[in-house]
Amino acid sequence: MNSFISKRINNIQFAILSPDEVRKMSQVRVITADTYDDDGYPIERGLMDLHMGVIEPGLKCATCSGKVDECPGHFGHIDLAMPVIQVGFVKEVKMFLDGTCKNCNRVKLTEDEMQAYGRRLSEKKLEDYDPELLTLIIKKNLEQAIKREVCPHCGFKNLTVILDKPTTFREGAKSGGAAEKKITPKEIRERLEKIPDDDLIYFGLNKSFVRPEWMILTALPVPPINVRPSITLETGERSEDDLTHKLVDIIRISQRLRESRDNGSPQLIIEDLWDLLQFHVTTYFDNQTAGIPPARHRSGRPLKTLVQRMKGKEGRFRSNLSGKRVNFSARTVISPEPFLSINEVGVPEKAARELTVPVTINQFNIDVMREWVKRGTTPTKENGNYESGVNYILRPDGRRVKITAANAEDNSQKIDIGWVVERQLSEGDIVLFNRQPSLHRMSMMAHTVRILKGQTFRFNLAVCTPYNADFDGDEMNLHVLQKEEGRAEARIIMKVQEQIMSPRFGGPIIGGIHDHVTALFLLTHGNPLFSEKEATHIMSYLPVDKDMKPVSVENGVKYFSGRDIFSAILPEDFNIKFRSKLCSGAKRSEDGTFVCEYEENQEDIDVVIINGRMIHGTIDETAISPFAGKIIDKIYRKFGAAAAAEFIDKMTRLAVAFISFRGFSTGIADYDIPENAISEIKEISIEAEKDVDGFVIDFKEERMNPREGKSVEETLEEEIMKVTGEARDQSGKIASQYLGLTNPSVIMARSGARAKMLNISEVAGMVGQQSVRGQRLNRGYDKRTLPHFKKGDLGADSRGFVKSSYKVGLNPLEYFLHSIGGREGLVDIAVRTSRSGYMQRRLINAFEDLKVNERRQVTDTVGEIIQFKYGDDGIDPTKSENGEALDMNYILFDEENGGEQ
Amino acid sequence: MKVILWKDTKKNIENLMEKAENLFYAVDFPVSEGIEEAYISVDKKKVLYRAKVTEISEYNLPNAKKPAEKGKKKKDTRELMLKKKTGLKTVLHLESLEVLAPSIPSSDFSLGRNKINAVDSYYEATLERIVITQKEKYSSVIEGPVRQLIEKELDKGVVLPLHIAEMLTKIKKEKGQDFFNKILKRVEEDLEERQIDPFEAVGIIAAQSIGEPGTQMTMRTFHYAGVKEVDVTLGLPRLIEIVDARRTPSTPSMDIFLKDEYARDDDAVSRVIKDIENTSVIDVADVITDTDEMMVIIRPKRKLMDRRRIKEQDILDAMGSIKQITIIQKEKGDTSVDYADIEIKAQQESYKRLYQLQEQVKAVNIKGLQGIKRAVAVKERDGTYKLQTQGSNLKQVLEIEEVDAVRTTTNDIVEIANVLGIEAARNAILKESRDTLKEQSLDVDERHLMVVADMMTIEGQVRAVGRQGISGKKSSVLARAAFEITVKHLMRAGIVGETDTLTGVAENIIVGQPITLGTGAVDLVYRGNVPDKGE
Ligand SMILES: [Mg+2]
Ligand SMILES: [Zn+2]
Ligand SMILES: [Zn+2]
Repeated sequence: MNSFISKRINNIQFAILSPDEVRKMSQVRVITADTYDDDGYPIERGLMDLHMGVIEPGLKCATCSGKVDECPGHFGHIDLAMPVIQVGFVKEVKMFLDGTCKNCNRVKLTEDEMQAYGRRLSEKKLEDYDPELLTLIIKKNLEQAIKREVCPHCGFKNLTVILDKPTTFREGAKSGGAAEKKITPKEIRERLEKIPDDDLIYFGLNKSFVRPEWMILTALPVPPINVRPSITLETGERSEDDLTHKLVDIIRISQRLRESRDNGSPQLIIEDLWDLLQFHVTTYFDNQTAGIPPARHRSGRPLKTLVQRMKGKEGRFRSNLSGKRVNFSARTVISPEPFLSINEVGVPEKAARELTVPVTINQFNIDVMREWVKRGTTPTKENGNYESGVNYILRPDGRRVKITAANAEDNSQKIDIGWVVERQLSEGDIVLFNRQPSLHRMSMMAHTVRILKGQTFRFNLAVCTPYNADFDGDEMNLHVLQKEEGRAEARIIMKVQEQIMSPRFGGPIIGGIHDHVTALFLLTHGNPLFSEKEATHIMSYLPVDKDMKPVSVENGVKYFSGRDIFSAILPEDFNIKFRSKLCSGAKRSEDGTFVCEYEENQEDIDVVIINGRMIHGTIDETAISPFAGKIIDKIYRKFGAAAAAEFIDKMTRLAVAFISFRGFSTGIADYDIPENAISEIKEISIEAEKDVDGFVIDFKEERMNPREGKSVEETLEEEIMKVTGEARDQSGKIASQYLGLTNPSVIMARSGARAKMLNISEVAGMVGQQSVRGQRLNRGYDKRTLPHFKKGDLGADSRGFVKSSYKVGLNPLEYFLHSIGGREGLVDIAVRTSRSGYMQRRLINAFEDLKVNERRQVTDTVGEIIQFKYGDDGIDPTKSENGEALDMNYILFDEENGGEQ
Repeated sequence: MKVILWKDTKKNIENLMEKAENLFYAVDFPVSEGIEEAYISVDKKKVLYRAKVTEISEYNLPNAKKPAEKGKKKKDTRELMLKKKTGLKTVLHLESLEVLAPSIPSSDFSLGRNKINAVDSYYEATLERIVITQKEKYSSVIEGPVRQLIEKELDKGVVLPLHIAEMLTKIKKEKGQDFFNKILKRVEEDLEERQIDPFEAVGIIAAQSIGEPGTQMTMRTFHYAGVKEVDVTLGLPRLIEIVDARRTPSTPSMDIFLKDEYARDDDAVSRVIKDIENTSVIDVADVITDTDEMMVIIRPKRKLMDRRRIKEQDILDAMGSIKQITIIQKEKGDTSVDYADIEIKAQQESYKRLYQLQEQVKAVNIKGLQGIKRAVAVKERDGTYKLQTQGSNLKQVLEIEEVDAVRTTTNDIVEIANVLGIEAARNAILKESRDTLKEQSLDVDERHLMVVADMMTIEGQVRAVGRQGISGKKSSVLARAAFEITVKHLMRAGIVGETDTLTGVAENIIVGQPITLGTGAVDLVYRGNVPDKGE
């Protein structure tokens, strides 16, 4: 076994097969159109001849004597009774017939032209030309030759060649259409044979690899059987592959043609058969050739022949070569598990028993592996928990042995150094975890395995963002790495903690979401105190061992502050200062300091952490969320990926601990506002309606002055939109006056956990104007949105102004119009996903080959330099501070506060 | 500098060239005193000849006795070359007539505020000499200590960004040498550590970083903030348009800035708007076809005309561009309401011609620049005006005197490539994609956009991202076959004898071996237990 010597294909040379080569690589000349005999055994020299490989277990290949999985398959060939044209090259054949002399078979270019073109074409190797450019050059060069009637070499007057698509050539005098004669493929081949090698360059042919006459087939390769396996139906009937069907036709007609030719049948019959052969060979290559009907299966379905097998999204290239199906993978529904680390993934036992890791036995692990094999396939620990067993063992000769409860003991003794044991997944194994669509590299990250009871994959909620996952039925895929190299790369590069920083914007993409934010907001806002008992309960969720000093002692009870509890999860020597989201709208007061309305103590406007102790501020979105997460960002940079992961782990645990201790709930009562507020809002909506009516009257009585560059209609719409927009904003403002920071919904909005204040004002205040494409609703019935309005009604009601709030509820009319507005969003999403998907495919395809070299230049595959220094400064966007090379303010703050380690 | 510029026949000039000395040339136009240089065009567009004018005199009669001038030779034996046989007005004494290589485009000459687009007869024009001043090197505008710091670090192989160097210098002054050293060390370390890793797949990362947020973008076309008249495509459609390198964007638009001296001048602003806004007859009048009388009637709309500051005469003038027609201006009725109709008859009376005429009349350009449908002045925060347009015509806008060519721009990337060159197009791609993403408040690092912009422009012309552009030109047969049009590429590879060297990503995935990026680009070799040499 030499598998540890890695081999690489250096290059692939493309060329056209010559008939000689076809015969040389052929293992059998197929002469009968039959496949199997009555016993179901392949007929010799038939299309299923054993020389071309085997597809049935038990049989051996007649060429390499390999069995089903061992034989790679071998080509055969058919000698065609008469030559036929390969459809794919019809254009080239036409070009040769047009461009060469029928008499002397030279290209119809003068010596001067040949010299000039030849010099131009020999500048580069033919294959180095841009394909389109080469086509153009050839076309230009040959223009003269094709136009020329009289051969410049021998003076022969040539006829014009006409192509009847797809494959029939005729020849006639240039002027008169009379006396046109068909040129048979045989004649064409004879002409092409005589073209000298040196003239090929003018046709764009590479003489070292190609002769023009090879474009006319005399021998047809028959693909190996495993390329066109026959399938046995449930009824026991055999069903052949489309290619085999086509080959049967070709052999039959070829035979009949040979017989007819040999026993001197009339020319007409021979020609008919010849055309039929041409048809079959043409459709064998491409069953969608323009100008001929596609060959069909008995059922009427068009056959999938060679071209159809390769092209398109379902073709070989895109569906089997660029993307491949794999073993050792699992897929199931996902669900959350807050007590897992972000680096872990919970795998159900059932999946773990199926997924295996190959272990090659050596002198160091043989005893352990014997133990494993002995356990069989479904071992459990004493406490009934999962323990991994072994599913298969692989002998050095390649034989695979399935382990069963019965043979486990036996096989544990048989295994030896060099054998491979396929053991089941166990805790600590590294696996790849993925959610589609895989739009960025964080869609596939490495996790370590935790085996859990249940049926779903589970992971920490902080990892939802990079996967863009939620738990409304999302499924994810898991792949078990099979090689040490892969496992090493997964651990070092792909592990979740290594992917905390997004290459898109140079900030964290993993962090606390939803309740994490709410919880830590409540824990730190106003720095609440907790008795020793309470603090202990909260801290019991955390794996920290830290001396905590009480803030105060009252009646012998020690009290700890929320910020100190949060500080327990921060690394020591950590310094940071930033403005919280809560106070992001803080305004500068007269004395120049910022004032934040939500903080009692104005020192809390900024979050201040010095030497790992949180002194001021409120933890919210800006501190710990994905995208924003300042604390995560700076911990990652100063202490590394592991510390950042540890912080996120503890942070999410602390958040869950605290919020389940404190309790947090939201409900419709959150949106209760006093009567007077409700009537105020009502007044606003009435006022707005009145304004709208006023505008409409102005408009109808032609008193409205159009705005600069606008029609009256547009001006009216704009004015109305302005009024209704203001009405919603105002009602929102009134509502939020009564909804303070003690309101759970407001807490969520202000802390950035979920929703915006706008959503709250929609629930408590007013939903507001509905729109489609930025315009008030205007379509539906003739000149009105619904039939019970008057035609031409431009009022607020009829055009989708929703005065109600979600809490009060929409009336049927409002509900209907609101749904119209809502639908636009749904349509938008549907259109967007497909468009952006295609754009990304094109982007990836265009840029996939670019890389940075040792000198930090950006180059493509040919070595052409795209950028002399990546991004002008060579800085990795992932490591940048939101695009900047350095965050000087942070460095200063850190160093000034003794931030040295 | 004021010069005389005229169009002449090639033959005339060749005759002139032959006669080397004492060249007196009688021309059919007046020339004012003080002009010292003459420029001649033979094809209207390019000016190919230049001569010094040493003397200007009136033309009387061929070989007529000239009155003595400034005590020059009395006997008038001047051998005159004649531009034409009749209508001659002036005699120029020309010296050192030379062929200009390269030729000067006629648009380099200007008449008052306007560039000359074509030399039809003669002009006393001004020719601005373009002075190219070299931009000051950055090092000379950076203050001493900062510069020293940058240069010192450069010697160590550290490239300090300017703003960081400035900050460091400040720190040194305020906090002392020790603290400065500490910070500098950390800066050096951070900069080194944050360099991108060799063999990083920067292209894929760029593509993902731009593609991934695509799903979060909006699809609608918006009104530009502040200017309601100018629609601008934004969001995902705009991003797609940029990478597609569409020949014209769906909503072309320009930002026109004026030179400082005009930027606050209301008159200048409205003058420029008037000059550039393209107005066709159909924009300011109804065009009616009268099949009884076989004529086309233009019914001007006063309101529209006033808004665009167009007079009746402008329409009549514009009609001059249509050949073989008769223009009749009707009697004025109540002029306070509308202008009188203008009737246009074709000389050749046929329905076909009438139809043609109607289309011609509608499309006749009264004034403005082609393509610019609308221009609106927007007041900036500093009190200056900026013009925003619907439609784009960068080349001609840049030629307008008041326009500040340095800041003026368009969102049409291909147009920028044509007018300003490929480097400008590269920056335009960068700017447009950056602005599009920023407007959607999506945070994408500029370095990714640079990769896209550089890749799209590296060949010297703007290439689209996709089959027509970058992907279609890949060197690998297999990669091309995998993308689109599989069979064509394979067939061609056969006859040309192409070799796939398997250097890219797609082709290696196809054959099933490691790709050449990242860890696939390096080899890890284990030496094993090499015994010591001594043993
Ligand atoms: Mg979901
Ligand atoms: Zn075999
Ligand atoms: Zn010949």
